[in-house]
Amino acid sequence: MADDLRLRELMREYQSGRFEAFDEIYASIAPALRRYVLSQSRDAAKADDLVQETFLQMHRARHTYDPSYPLMPWAMAIARHVWLMDRRMLSRRPWAPDDVTAIELPVKGEAASFAERADVRRALGQVAPARRHALIQHHLLGFSFKEIAERAGIAETAAKLRSSRGMAQLRALLKPQKAQKPQQ
Amino acid sequence: MTNTATNLPDDLRARLAADFEPVRALRSPWARALSILPLAIVALIAAPVAFDVRPDANLGWLGVWGLSIAQSLIGVLVIGAALRESIPGRDWSRAAIALWLALPVVAILAITVFSWEASPMSLRAQWWLVGGICFAGSAATALPVVALSSILASRAYPTRPLIAGSLLGLGAGLMADAGWRIFCHFSEPAHVLSAHLAAVIMSTIIGAMAAVRDSRLRGEKHPLHEPIRAGSDHRDRSE
Repeated sequence: MADDLRLRELMREYQSGRFEAFDEIYASIAPALRRYVLSQSRDAAKADDLVQETFLQMHRARHTYDPSYPLMPWAMAIARHVWLMDRRMLSRRPWAPDDVTAIELPVKGEAASFAERADVRRALGQVAPARRHALIQHHLLGFSFKEIAERAGIAETAAKLRSSRGMAQLRALLKPQKAQKPQQ
Repeated sequence: MTNTATNLPDDLRARLAADFEPVRALRSPWARALSILPLAIVALIAAPVAFDVRPDANLGWLGVWGLSIAQSLIGVLVIGAALRESIPGRDWSRAAIALWLALPVVAILAITVFSWEASPMSLRAQWWLVGGICFAGSAATALPVVALSSILASRAYPTRPLIAGSLLGLGAGLMADAGWRIFCHFSEPAHVLSAHLAAVIMSTIIGAMAAVRDSRLRGEKHPLHEPIRAGSDHRDRSE
C-alpha cells in the first residue's frame, strides 16, 4: 500500500479536480477495503459490489475528507457505513429472486399458447433487475404497489412504473419469439 | 490484461466521471460550529426581548446572563461535536459520546442548583400552565437551531446519524433553554427539570429524528439497493 502521505496528496488532488488521482487511490486501497468488507459480509461477490459502492460513496463524500488526517480511517468508515446500509436495506426488502429459473410461474393453460413457461422465464431473466423485482413481487407474489414501495424504500408511483415498464419489456422480449415460432 | 482488483472498473469510472467536478473540502467542524453563533445569540435574547428579564436581584448579572452565556457556549461546543461526528473516520468513541451527552445535563443541573441556592423561587399556582409555556417556548426556540445545525451536519456524511442528530439537538436545546432561563424566574428544580430540561430532551429527540430521516432520504436518492454489480451491465439505472 502506498504510504499515507501519498494517499492524502492523491485525495487532495482528486478534490481539486484531477480525476486520474482516483485510479491510484483505487489501486492502493481497494484490496484493503475488499478484505474488510469480505470479513463482514463473508460473500466474495457481495464484497466486490460493496467495494465499488464504497468508492462511489467516497466520491460523493469527497468534500468531507480533510487531507490533514489519514485517508484510510475515512475510507474504512465509509466502507463500514456502506456495509451497514446494505444490510439494513436487505432486511427491509422483500424476497425477490434473482434466479428466475427457480420460480414456479402460475401460467394458466390457455396462456401457455402465447408463450412457453421456459420462454417466459428466459425473458424474465433479461428484464432489468429493478423492474423484474417489482414485476415478480406484484404479479407473481401478490404484493401491492404500496407494499413494494415501502419495502424497497421508493415511492408508490415508482413501484408502479417499474412494474409496468418491466411488463412492457417482458412483452417486447416475448414478441419476437412469438413471431419466430411459426417460421421454425 | 487488466487487473480487476486494483483497476477502477469501467462502469464505476463512468458513474464517477458523470458528476465529477472539483470540490472544496469542508472547514473543520469547530469552525463550522461557529456559524451557529448568530442564531445562538438570537436564541439567547429572544425570550428576554419578547417578554422580560427575570427580576432576580439575588442572582445578579453573572447569575442570569453569565450562566446563560456559558450554557449557550456549551451548546455551540456540543454542536461542534455533532459536526465532527458527521465526518467519516472522525466519529467519537463511546466514552466521548457519553461525556458529550452528560456534559449538558450536568451543566443544567449545576446551574439549576446554583440558581435555587442563590434565589429560591417556587412555583405555587398554575404549575402545569407555566411548565407548559416554558417547555413549549424552549422547544420552539430550539427548532431553528436544530434546522440550521441539521443542514450543516447533512453537508458532511454522517455515518451514525442517530448520534450526530442527538448531539446537535442537544446543543440546540441547550442554547434555547439558555435564553429561556433569562426570562423564567422560577428556579425551583422540579419546574426546571420537568419543563426546561424536558424541552432540551425534546430538542435532542427532534434532532435525532431529523438526522435519521435525512440519512434515509439521502440513501433513497443514492440508492444502495441498486449497487453497481461488479462486472455487469448497468445501463438501465434510470429508475
